[in-house]
Amino acid sequence: MSAVVVLTPIVIASWPALTAAVAGAAAAMGFAVRADQTRAADKAAASAEAEIEEAEVVAEALQPGQAVALQRDNVTIEIRQDAGGRCRVCARGTGHSKRELQALADDVAGRVVQQFVYHKLLTELQNRNGEVLHQERLADDSVRVHVRL
Amino acid sequence: MDRPELEITISKNGQVMVEIKGAKGPRCLKVADLLQEIVGREVQRRLTREYYEPDRQVRIDTEVQQRHGPH
Repeated sequence: MSAVVVLTPIVIASWPALTAAVAGAAAAMGFAVRADQTRAADKAAASAEAEIEEAEVVAEALQPGQAVALQRDNVTIEIRQDAGGRCRVCARGTGHSKRELQALADDVAGRVVQQFVYHKLLTELQNRNGEVLHQERLADDSVRVHVRL
Repeated sequence: MDRPELEITISKNGQVMVEIKGAKGPRCLKVADLLQEIVGREVQRRLTREYYEPDRQVRIDTEVQQRHGPH
């Protein structure tokens, strides 16, 4: 190989593009997008929050407090944009410690970024006549893609 | 000219590592710059021996002429 490059993603996306990444992450982690996005949260449940770092949602007819809610068993994940434009992941549920919920929120935040950068990379490389030769999900949940430019 | 190939690994927290193969010298740099443009921020770039290999082979033909007698 000629070079090895390590990159950190900067997520600048419209809300629809980000929700597509959220849906992909949800599917990979066994979450379902909750049908009732407006259901009130259980205030008795423990919660923890993570931020999707270096992420900015560009305004495209955005509603204040717009969010996507995911559900798996008794855990709810809410991804929303705060007043400062930052993307936050909140994990809430009963029967889980705050540490467990924090780990889950961090995991979801990471997976959303993974999905976003995966789709962006493949789209941009294919737009430049790139050809995907092979792709797979590895045991550590990373994604490997082999592309010929 | 061979087409470069990329072995892209995206970790579960979104960090990207790319092994660039089949592109030497400036071609390799161009691919690395493209990846930075697409993904965001480059954390590390490590050039390997293949990077420094010539992209093309150069052939030198020589011809020897032998002269006889005074000129």
